[in-house]
Amino acid sequence: MAEFLRFEEITKTFGDLRAVDNVSLSVNKGEFFSLLGPSGCGKTTLLRLTAGFEQPDSGRIYLNGQDITNLPPHKRKVNTIFQNYALFPHLSVWENIAFGLRVAKRPMREIKDEVARMLSLIQMTEQAQKKPAQLSGGQKQRVAIARALINKPQVLLLDEPLAALDLKLRQRMLIELDLIHDEVGITFLYVTHDQGEAMSLSDRIAVMHLGKIEQIGAPAQLYEAPRNSFVAAFIGDTNFFEGRVAGKASGDYSKLNIEGFPDVLCFNDKQINEGELVYLSVRPEKFRVSRDKPEGNGLHNVVPGRVEDVVYLGTHTKYWVRVQDYRISVYQQHSRFLLDEKTIRWNDDVWVSWHADDGFMLEYYSESDEKLMELPPEGVGSLSAPPEGRTEEA
Amino acid sequence: MAFRKSKIVECAVTAPSFFWLTLLFVIPTIIVFAIAFKPADPYGGVGGGWTLHTILTLSNPNYPAIIWRTIWISIITTLFCVVLGIPTGYCLARVSARWRHILLVLIVVPFWTSFLVRVFAWKVLLHPDGFLKRMLVALDVLRPDSLLLYNDNAVLLVMVYTYLPFAILPIYAATEKFDFHLIEAARDLGATRFQTLFKVFLPGIQRGLITAFLVVFIPALGSYVIPDIVGGLSSEMIGNKIAQRTFVDRHLPHASALSALLTLAVLVPLIAIFGMQKRKSKEPPTLIETA
Amino acid sequence: MRHSRIPLFTTLAIIFVFYLPIMVLVVNSFNDSRFGGNWGGFTLKWYARLLEEQQIWEAVWNTLLIAVGATLVSMVLGTAAGFALHRFQSRLQRLHFALIYTPLVIPDILMGMSLLLLFVALNVELGLMTIFLAHVTFCISYVAMVILARFQDFDFSVIEAAQDLGANWWGATWRVLLPLLAPGIAAGGLLAFTLSLDDFVISFFVAGPGSTTLPIRIYSMIKHGYPPLINALSTILLLVTFAAVTLSQHLSRSYQKK
Repeated sequence: MAEFLRFEEITKTFGDLRAVDNVSLSVNKGEFFSLLGPSGCGKTTLLRLTAGFEQPDSGRIYLNGQDITNLPPHKRKVNTIFQNYALFPHLSVWENIAFGLRVAKRPMREIKDEVARMLSLIQMTEQAQKKPAQLSGGQKQRVAIARALINKPQVLLLDEPLAALDLKLRQRMLIELDLIHDEVGITFLYVTHDQGEAMSLSDRIAVMHLGKIEQIGAPAQLYEAPRNSFVAAFIGDTNFFEGRVAGKASGDYSKLNIEGFPDVLCFNDKQINEGELVYLSVRPEKFRVSRDKPEGNGLHNVVPGRVEDVVYLGTHTKYWVRVQDYRISVYQQHSRFLLDEKTIRWNDDVWVSWHADDGFMLEYYSESDEKLMELPPEGVGSLSAPPEGRTEEA
Repeated sequence: MAFRKSKIVECAVTAPSFFWLTLLFVIPTIIVFAIAFKPADPYGGVGGGWTLHTILTLSNPNYPAIIWRTIWISIITTLFCVVLGIPTGYCLARVSARWRHILLVLIVVPFWTSFLVRVFAWKVLLHPDGFLKRMLVALDVLRPDSLLLYNDNAVLLVMVYTYLPFAILPIYAATEKFDFHLIEAARDLGATRFQTLFKVFLPGIQRGLITAFLVVFIPALGSYVIPDIVGGLSSEMIGNKIAQRTFVDRHLPHASALSALLTLAVLVPLIAIFGMQKRKSKEPPTLIETA
Repeated sequence: MRHSRIPLFTTLAIIFVFYLPIMVLVVNSFNDSRFGGNWGGFTLKWYARLLEEQQIWEAVWNTLLIAVGATLVSMVLGTAAGFALHRFQSRLQRLHFALIYTPLVIPDILMGMSLLLLFVALNVELGLMTIFLAHVTFCISYVAMVILARFQDFDFSVIEAAQDLGANWWGATWRVLLPLLAPGIAAGGLLAFTLSLDDFVISFFVAGPGSTTLPIRIYSMIKHGYPPLINALSTILLLVTFAAVTLSQHLSRSYQKK
């Protein structure tokens, strides 16, 4: 796929704050691309730079081969869905949607046809004469989408479009957004702090932190193979263990020394050298707790612990298990098999086990560690794709 | 590009008001100070050269008395306005939205009528042959020879009447933003009503009180019409003297010197409060409330 | 917790006192006796006399002329100033704000006096023109403050949305900014208009021969004139004011409904 929207070494500062710090990034045509990160990570600034509301201090932005860095907002073929929709309160739904065509001085006939088409797309033909104040949150959202799409933008920019909606509506709009993307086929650049939204909608996600991109990849890649501890912690929940690479085991596995633990086996895809400090990250659902010591097959890590807390959550149960200095969070599904067993309770002694493939080692992270801040090289997708053998597990 | 924060746009939208006010507000104020050091010419204009004579005449025993009266009448007016404004602001903030609207309109509407008409109305009311006087005499509250009009009390009454809404509105605005759960919390923690009022409520609406003080005290210092119409010869304020020197004696340097003095008197509390608030927040005191 | 009734009673008492002198005035305008102490029977003769007072109607005309002019000019200058104060946070705007704010708190008499001295120094002939200039000077500040207050809850993303949808700065201003600011500009204009109509002190200082405004006329009637006539005139002014307030309330409510 050809790159369509390209950022080249973009930097934007506000006073002392480096909101966007030397970011390079390309988005492919037709892609649903998300910028994900905590507030203040620079994702919205990057979006506003694309729309033309801000000017970068340095760097260029290209859209479909054209340098748009210095174009004013009204001359860019991109349109924005604002976080609070920014519907014109003094104009009706119809006039809001027609706005773009009107300022472009298109013939009235065409405007009427196009607006009617948009109204039926968002199923709001009945509400055409209402003012924004009379609409529900979801309806406003749909008007904002129609108003942007009628201009046939090359890229649609969405700034936390679901943040203002309640949970139920958010879930419905999530599906609608997905359908609209499939239907119109234009490129979506989506800004959100909600990993759930980003994971369920996106083709690819760029995780941002402190103005820099931490990792770019498909949702599954980010979850299963985060490049560093920030991404691991930001996407989903995880347990971190501090350890030192003790030596090679068979194949691509390394032995890991964690204080108070027996030797832990871990897949070492990053070829981290012996003796280095690392974080071991294991997702809560990858653990298993059991009363009896499970039989290992050589690649299972098993440690003894004591249950400190049990929270029953319906779909699963959350355990906090004390193992030496760590309080491990474990999500365990209920199954017939487990129900037959005696329930695990508070203060029980248990065994915590996980497969060596389910843990991943991350380089020891510190703020000053410039290596981690480096941008992924071109063709990120293939580089951080999960290596064979890891995807096969159930 | 209009809405990018460009310097050109800023200048374009700032320049008109900036130059207008510089020309017709700042420069005239400077002229006031300058002319205070000029002699008068015999034709009611301003003479040439410079002199300290005008300033020195301000120490004439007549003036300190007038300045002193101006200050205490303004202080008492402000006190009354704030003390009456607090319960009213509280009431407005606590009643239902419907009643609040009605009460606010009732409070504001009289003050949309002509200021002179309102002062005149009091003159009629307080007049020796007027309605109030007769009623009070009939009720044996007043002796027939007592005078309601043309004294300091009349000036005070009409000043409080005139400036009270300016105190009520900012106090109400501050009270409306006050979290009344704090009062319950204070009572719950054992504070008496009195303690709650002074330790929780009043500090909570401090901004409103400061604004109320500012918008009553400063204009009160410059009162001219009220003492002129309902005051007696012995209730003159600086404003009356300025007008008298301007229109009756036509001694502009003298009027300037008095105006300069009044300007300083006004600027002192203004700068003090601005300085105090600047440390706390950048927001200016709320002066205009749109009901 | 028991709620104190003091605030409510204070409020009602204050409102009573607010209306007392006005009511007495209105009643007296229909009173046949010359002074308000006793009731001499109902009459409309003061109103009839008022109609014959040529000078009053001239003053009304002058007042309206100045008020309309000062309102229009101060609406333009004040709106620009309010926009500047809200949109830009520079050292220039801090100075600008002080410049806008100070006239609001400075006593009228100081503004009147200083403008008089300016006009004297520049040898400008006192008249309607000088009153107009003086009125614009204090009205700018009020309009700017009203606009600034409206901007507090103005969402600038609609401006960005307009530009995003292809409007240039003129289009965004004309199609979005001004329509949305219209109620604020109108409110500021209304305030400026009423302040200009009502101003006595400043006008008194900068007025010249032949430029008597209604408040100046009323003042000289109070000082030298005939009280019953002022009663009648005041009643008419009250009626006009109440009609204006009702109308503006009605308009703002129907605007909100829309």
